Amino acid sequence: MVRKLWTTSALAVVVTVLVTACASSATTPKPSAAAPSAAAPSAAASASAAPSAAAPSAKPAAAVPAVPTGYAELDKALGADQPFKGKTVSIQTQWIGGEGTNFAASVADFAAATGIKIQIDSIGSSHETVLKTRIEGGKPPDLAMLAQPTPILAYAAQGKVVDVAPFMNDKGKLAKEHPATIGLVTQGASIWGIPYKADVKSTIWYPIKAFAAKGYAVPTTWDELIALSDKIVAAGSNPWCVSAGGPGDATGWQITDWVEEVVLKTKGLAYYNDWISHKVTFEDQGIKDAFAKVGKILFTPNYVFGGNTAIVANDMKTVMDPMFTDDLANPKCWMQKIPTWYGPDFFPDQRVTGQPSKYILGTDVGMFAFPTIDPAQKNAEGSADTLMVLVDRPEVRAVAEFLATPEGIQNWIRAGSAISANSTTPADWYAGAYKLKVAADIANSAAGIGFDASDLMPGPVGAGTFWTESDKWANAGGTNTDEVLKAIDASWPAP
Amino acid sequence: MAVAQTERPGLSRFVLPIAGLIGLAVCVAGVLVLYDPHGGPNLLASIYEALGNISGATDLRNGSGDQVVAKLLLAAIALLVGVGGIWLLFICVGGLVSLLPPKWRDRILPWVFAGPALVLLAVFLVYPAAGTILRSFQDDHGQWTLANFAVMTQPDFTQILRNNAIWLIVGTGGSVTLGLIFAGLFDRVRRESLAKTLVFLPLAISLVGASVIWGFVYAWQPAGEPQIGLLNAVVVGLGGQPIPWLSTSPINVFCEIIIMIWLQTGFAMVVFSAAIKGVSSEVLEAARLDGASERQLFVRVIVPMIRGSIITVSTTIAIVTLKIFDIVYVTTGGRFDDDVVANRMFHEVFQFFNDGRGAALATLLFVAVLPVMYINLRNFKRQQGEG
Repeated sequence: MVRKLWTTSALAVVVTVLVTACASSATTPKPSAAAPSAAAPSAAASASAAPSAAAPSAKPAAAVPAVPTGYAELDKALGADQPFKGKTVSIQTQWIGGEGTNFAASVADFAAATGIKIQIDSIGSSHETVLKTRIEGGKPPDLAMLAQPTPILAYAAQGKVVDVAPFMNDKGKLAKEHPATIGLVTQGASIWGIPYKADVKSTIWYPIKAFAAKGYAVPTTWDELIALSDKIVAAGSNPWCVSAGGPGDATGWQITDWVEEVVLKTKGLAYYNDWISHKVTFEDQGIKDAFAKVGKILFTPNYVFGGNTAIVANDMKTVMDPMFTDDLANPKCWMQKIPTWYGPDFFPDQRVTGQPSKYILGTDVGMFAFPTIDPAQKNAEGSADTLMVLVDRPEVRAVAEFLATPEGIQNWIRAGSAISANSTTPADWYAGAYKLKVAADIANSAAGIGFDASDLMPGPVGAGTFWTESDKWANAGGTNTDEVLKAIDASWPAP
Repeated sequence: MAVAQTERPGLSRFVLPIAGLIGLAVCVAGVLVLYDPHGGPNLLASIYEALGNISGATDLRNGSGDQVVAKLLLAAIALLVGVGGIWLLFICVGGLVSLLPPKWRDRILPWVFAGPALVLLAVFLVYPAAGTILRSFQDDHGQWTLANFAVMTQPDFTQILRNNAIWLIVGTGGSVTLGLIFAGLFDRVRRESLAKTLVFLPLAISLVGASVIWGFVYAWQPAGEPQIGLLNAVVVGLGGQPIPWLSTSPINVFCEIIIMIWLQTGFAMVVFSAAIKGVSSEVLEAARLDGASERQLFVRVIVPMIRGSIITVSTTIAIVTLKIFDIVYVTTGGRFDDDVVANRMFHEVFQFFNDGRGAALATLLFVAVLPVMYINLRNFKRQQGEG
C-alpha cells in the first residue's frame, strides 16, 4: 500500500511538473486544472508501465524502448538489420561531471542496440557560446541541449532548427507525452524542441542529521523560515549558503530563482506570467516587494555565510562546502536554495574524488520544500532541459525519437538523479529515489507550477540584465534596489 | 636542384617551374583530402588496398581500424601542404615570372612575393572587418539603422569607457615605465640575463592562464576562515580584514591591470634593453665628461635616443589594452563595474544574441585603435627615413 501510494505520487510529480509548467505559453493559466488533467496521463502511464515492469534486479535490462515505438525511424533503427550501424550522431550538451556521466549512460544501451555511434560533446560552461559559433558557422552538431526555451525559438526564427512535428508528432504523440513543456517550444504546427529532463526548483537543501541534533524543525511558512534563521544566528552560526556565481559565465541566476520563487508564492501564476511578458514591469510594487523579501534573507547581518561579498564571490560548485564542516556535525551554513538537479556530485568528497559520496541523500543531506508565504498562493517553480534537432538525417531522427521516449533517460533515472519530461514514464522507475519523492511532494502540494521566468524572458534580460543587475544588487548589499529594477526595465528589448 | 642550376642553367629555367607545378597539383590534392571529412581514413584505405590489405581498408571505411594512423597521415599532409605548398608557390610563380622579359619581370615580381600575404590579409582581415562594420549599421532583419550605436548612450556605458581609459593610461604607462626602469637598471647588474629572464618569464603565460593564477592571489574568504588568497593572507596576517579585491570597484580595475602589467613589462624591457645597448658608448662617454650624473644620463641622453623604441612599445601595448578582454572575462566577467568594451561586445553577441550591437562595439574598438596605429606607422616611417 505504501509502495502504491508512493507510485501515485511519483507519477503525479512528473505529470504535474509538465502539465503546469506551460505557464508561459498559456496567457491565462489555470492552476487548478493541474490536478484533474493529471489523471488522464497517469492512466496511460500505468498502462505502459505494466509491460516494461523493470523491477530492480542484479543487472537492469537495457534501456531501449520496445518496438513498435510509434516513431518510424526509431523502429527502423532498432530493427534486427541495424540499418544505421556505424553512422555517427553528435549531441552537444552542457552536462559535465556527474551529469555528463549520467547522460552518456542514458544513450549507451541505445547505441549498443542500434550500432549508431553517439558522439557527446560536453562543453560545460561555454556551451552556449560554442553552440552559437557552430550553428552560425554552418557546421552545427546534429542535436543540442539547451536549458532555456528563448534561444531555441531565436534559432528557430533564423531557420536553423529542424521542425520535429512532421516526423514525431503524428497523431499528436510528442505533444501528448510532453503535455505542458512542449508548449514552450511550439509555434503553430511547428515543434522546435524535445523536452527531455524536468526539474523542480522550489527546494532548499539542508543537513538532516544536524537539524535533528539541534532540534530544528523544517520550516513550512516564511515566518518559520525567518524564525529558524534567527535561531541559527542566535546559536552563533550562519543559516544560509548563497552563491551567485557559475557555472562559468552564467552568474546571478540563483538570485533570480529566489526572486521568481517569492513572486510565485506572493502574487500567483497570472501575475508571474504577466511579469514574464513584461505586462508587469520590474518596477511594479509586487516585484519590489519580492526583492525586499529576498533581500531579507540575503542581506540580514549573519544570515548568509560570509555576507553579501561571499554571495558574489562564491561559485555554485563549492558554495555548500561549509555545510560539511566536521562531517556535517558542525555546519557553518545550514540551508541552500537550489533545484533538484543539485546533488552528491557537488558534495565536497564526490566532487574532488569522483567516487560516490559518503553522504547519503535523504539521510545525511536532504531537501525541503520552499516554505509557503501567502497561503492563497501555493505555487512552485520548475524548469526543463530541451533538445533541438539541427541536422535532418534518418539516424539523427532516430536518436531524437529515442530521447523523446522514457527509455531515453531511464539510466539517468536509475542513477536516482533525473525526472523525465515524458509523462508516460513508468512510475515504478522512480521507486526509492529520494529526489523524486521530494519533487513529488512539492508538485503535489503546489496549486500551480511556474516555469523559470528568466529562462523565458528575452535574452538581453533573462540571460542578461536580470542576471547581471542581480549580481550588482547582491554586491551592493541590496542598497540599490530601485536603480537595479530601473536598469532591468530599461534593457527590455523593443518588440 | 641547386646543383642542377649551376650545371645546366638553361634547362633548370624550365625544370623548376614544371616541378613546381607538379608540386602544386599535389598540394591541391592534399587540400582536397583535408577538406573531405572522411579524407584521412579514405586515403589510407586506398593505400591499404593498393598494398593488398583489403580487410584493413574496409575497417577504415567503416570508421574503425587504424584511425590514429589516418589522423597522423592527415597531420603529415597538412604540414606538407602548409609549408611545402607555400614554398612551391613562390618557387613556381617566381620561376614563371622570371621567364618574362626583364621589363615586365621587375614590375610583377614584387607582387608575386607580396601577393599570398595580401590575399590572406584580404580574406581573413579586410573581409570580416568590412562585414562587421556593415553589420553594425543593420538590424536583425538587414535594415539600415543607427540603433546599434544607441548602446553607447546607456548609463553603464560611460563606465565601460571610463574603465577602458584607465586600462589605456595605467596599463600602458605602467608597463612602459617599469620596462624602462628594469632595462636601465639591469644594464648595470652582473647577472643581467638572469634578472631579465625572470621579468620576461610571465610573457610566456597566456592572458587566461595569468588571470587564473592571479585569481588565486586575489581570492577572498569570509573573515575567520583560512585565507587561500596570497594578498588576503597577508592582510589578515597583519591583523586586517580580508578585502574582496575583485568585487570592489574601482580597486578591481587596478587589480586586473596589474595582471596585464605583470605580463607586458617583460616585453617592454627586452625591447628597451636592446635599444639601450645600441646607444653608442662615445655619446655616453661624452655626456659623462660633460659632467652628467648617471640619472641625467639616463633621462636626458638614453631615453631620447631610444624614443623610437618607446613609441613602438607604447603603441603596441596600448592596442593590447584597448582590446583587453581575457583578463576581465576570466576574473569577474565585468560584473562589478569593471566591464570593458571587448567584454561587453562578447556578451552582446553570445549571451544576448544582439549581433548588431556587438558589431557596433567592435567598430568602436576598431576606430579607437586607428589613431594608435597611425602613430605607430608614422614612427615606423620616420625610423626608416633615419636608417
